[in-house]
Amino acid sequence: MIDSVVEFLQGNFWALTALKLVAILGLIPVSGLAIGFAELKLSAKMQNRVGPYFAGGRWGWAQLLADGIKFIQKEDIIPADADRPVFRWAPALVMVSTVGLFVVIPFWDGGAVADLSIGIFYVLAISSISTIGILMAGWSSANKYSLMGGLRAAGQLIAYELPMVLAVIGVVIMAGTMSLSGIIKAQADFSLFGWSGFGDQPIANFISPFFILQFVGFLIFFISALAELSRIPFDMPIAESELVTGYLTEYSGFRFLFFFLAEFANMFTMSAIAATLFLGGYLGPFVNVVPWLGPLYLVTKIGVLCFLMIWFRWTFPRFREDQLQSVAWKVLVPLGLANIVVTAIFKVVM
Amino acid sequence: MTLEQDALKHFSEVSVALELQTPDMTLNIGPQHPSTHGVLRIVAQVDGERVTDVKPVIGYMHRGYEKIAEVRTYPQITALVNRIDWVSGFANEIPFMAATEKLMGIEVPERARYIRMILTEMARISSHLMFMASYPLELGATTPLMFALRERERILDLIESVTGGRFHPNFNRIGGVKPNAGAGPSQKKTVQDLPKGFLQATRDAMDELLSTCDQFDELVTGNEIFLARCKGVGIMPAALAADFGVSGPNLRASGVAFDLRTHTDYLPYDQVNFEVVTGTVGDSFDRWQVRLEEIRQAAYIVQQAVDQIPSGPLQAKVPKVIKVPKGEVYVRAENPKGEMGYYIVSEGGQGPYRLKIRSASYSNISVIPQLLEGVLVPDIIAIMGSFDFVLGDVDR
Amino acid sequence: MTTSPSDLPATDEASVELDAYAAAVADAVGALSWSTNFATVKVGVAPDAWVKSLRTAKTDLGLIFFSFLSAVHWTNKVEVGDPPAETVDERLEVLAAVGDLTEGRLVHFSTDLPIDGAALATLTGVYAGANWHEREAAEMFDIDFVGHPQLEKLYLPSEFEGHPLRKSFPLLSREVKPWPGMVDVEGMPDSAEASEESDGADAETLPSGVSTENPGR
Repeated sequence: MIDSVVEFLQGNFWALTALKLVAILGLIPVSGLAIGFAELKLSAKMQNRVGPYFAGGRWGWAQLLADGIKFIQKEDIIPADADRPVFRWAPALVMVSTVGLFVVIPFWDGGAVADLSIGIFYVLAISSISTIGILMAGWSSANKYSLMGGLRAAGQLIAYELPMVLAVIGVVIMAGTMSLSGIIKAQADFSLFGWSGFGDQPIANFISPFFILQFVGFLIFFISALAELSRIPFDMPIAESELVTGYLTEYSGFRFLFFFLAEFANMFTMSAIAATLFLGGYLGPFVNVVPWLGPLYLVTKIGVLCFLMIWFRWTFPRFREDQLQSVAWKVLVPLGLANIVVTAIFKVVM
Repeated sequence: MTLEQDALKHFSEVSVALELQTPDMTLNIGPQHPSTHGVLRIVAQVDGERVTDVKPVIGYMHRGYEKIAEVRTYPQITALVNRIDWVSGFANEIPFMAATEKLMGIEVPERARYIRMILTEMARISSHLMFMASYPLELGATTPLMFALRERERILDLIESVTGGRFHPNFNRIGGVKPNAGAGPSQKKTVQDLPKGFLQATRDAMDELLSTCDQFDELVTGNEIFLARCKGVGIMPAALAADFGVSGPNLRASGVAFDLRTHTDYLPYDQVNFEVVTGTVGDSFDRWQVRLEEIRQAAYIVQQAVDQIPSGPLQAKVPKVIKVPKGEVYVRAENPKGEMGYYIVSEGGQGPYRLKIRSASYSNISVIPQLLEGVLVPDIIAIMGSFDFVLGDVDR
Repeated sequence: MTTSPSDLPATDEASVELDAYAAAVADAVGALSWSTNFATVKVGVAPDAWVKSLRTAKTDLGLIFFSFLSAVHWTNKVEVGDPPAETVDERLEVLAAVGDLTEGRLVHFSTDLPIDGAALATLTGVYAGANWHEREAAEMFDIDFVGHPQLEKLYLPSEFEGHPLRKSFPLLSREVKPWPGMVDVEGMPDSAEASEESDGADAETLPSGVSTENPGR
């Protein structure tokens, strides 16, 4: 029975794609809610609070579901002076970028919706679309705080897109491919001066070689990801204490929910990309023996990275806009360039 | 049109075309804004994110206490002055009481003076802890808020156990403090003193508080991003501060070792040891540092006072109907926010002829426009927040 | 240790020292009068010499700290509160308190202005901090501070009429609305007796401080 279903799917491109799309569209809210809930509970832990408690009975697990239902029920308010079409489409555009990123993440060997040969290039391109959505939101709200928030987001994107690309180039040089699954395979088959770790042993892949060899790249990528996600310490586009809530100020109801969900789902995707590039993605001990461990490993790595992001959020203050820019241009870009040079020399020598 | 005029016109057109018109934007921060501590409104002219001109607008909370005081008796005014700086209600009562007592020539019993001192320092701690909570929040760090408020809750509980009020104790009486202080219903008739176990609970709370201060040093003061946001931001030279009447921790952060607790005798501060904390350059970081250190010093004062507190009556003998002799007096005190004083003009009645309330935050924020020119929008918040003002104290 | 009433003749050391200081300040600024009652140093100067005296105080006497500036409306015809015990000349007394930041000195400079067309040179050129205090005094007492850079209303709405801290300004809200404190607070012992003697019921329902002569206002 199952065999025949699998056979049918493998033989039918459209049915398979439809199934994958449904899975992705289900995964976005699930991942968003899971990370959002983790943030609620972890922040509570860090602040000696209890956090959500009543919704859903136990641990308040249904808190965000309840929030979501509340948002959907709310009146859809659009400011009188707003540029209505732009205001309406901005959240959708942010969501498009999120969906686009989910498409290329390999959850197991061959487990991506689309295994593009220029995967990482696609990721970098698609991930900046969300900033266009944010800029649209800030501009169309007819609110000075929103406008400043939107412009800050745009400035942030320009500043941090470059170090992120430079960090990725190091990995691409090491792997020799831009395909995400290719990069993972390169980490599995990696050999250093002829020594290939534990090779095909089950114990292999307990740590990705790129995490060690591209550690600088990993740091740059992670910091840039924080900036691109507008997480503290780089949350100036939102900056409650300065810009009220920046580009979100005029949004309410389900449009706000879109931004909210996209924020957490983007945390998931950016962590997934970072895990794929630097932490070996779905690789891990015994994964070549028991393949279904792959998604578990990936989710664990994503969880660790998301935890870091949440931890930062509840520990650090935020930078000033000009300090952010100087960190990007004076520290991260030169560091990224140096990383590329060193990586290239290393690759030739190796 | 002469050739010259023509050329001039052409020239001006060219120069207009070269200079792109970028009119400044007016950014209205407040009266409803997450970080104006109430209803302060800052009208800022901004060129991009750069501030070119700042105009603070106050008065949204003006309650006219100076006028109301003219139709109130002295004991009634105590309840009013509680509400001026509401995060340190108890400390507001002290200079008013001291001024009235000075006019009436009343000597306050030593025990009452000690109780006043303990509670004033607790009010200082709670006020500064409010700053410790709100300032990192304004810079984007949310967690210190919880640490500070948890500690503040302990202090407020202690104040409540003595006075029955957390924010507005209304506990001072002319000539001493309220008798039956903190006594439960069963003790109403007999005990006229601090509640049972208060002194020990205070000692414990101060120990906890000191360790929390160390936590703050680790969590916030040493944080690189925090330093980047505050160091060198909003530098206020001492001369500028004095010119505008900036007082309290804000003045001391500019390096002036001036503390009214060491200069006046409104409370027995000469019987405890404490340091007058000063900063060096007068930037936002110094203002943070001075307040954090002042919490420690206040805790030391409370520890000493709790050990030294003498026994004795809580109230001097005062007439049943309080009439204050004719005269003018100004008594000022070192409140958490700075110099708070009351200029009382008495004409021998039951209420003052005129009461001038000199509140600290009013003078403190009047200097802010001087510091905001040419800074970036985020710095408006970083500088304003570091002055630790309360709008009730500004508008009175 | 404890505060002593120093309106008595100066006997103890501190009062003598304070008197000497006040006399020195008065001498330096060419004051008309000085007093140290209740340890409050007050130096009276002529309106013409106002700015000059305070400039001397700042530059020569080291009184660099600007504490506050305010005014007192002296009159026997009051709408609120009790009138002064004795007959006084109707005038506005402007007070400016300046201090030093080393010894803890504070000197109150005072000057008397006529009630109509009260005007005084601004202190903003000497103490920049006088800006807001003068704006406040101007709106509350109707004093024109000549030369002030921006003499707009500070607290009150710009269309507000009247000068609330003048004694001729009634506490309108208390006359329009019943006094909330009337229900649960005993009246002042004295005023209750007084009102019984005069016109009983009407005066009793009036809040304290509202003139009984003209309750309908």
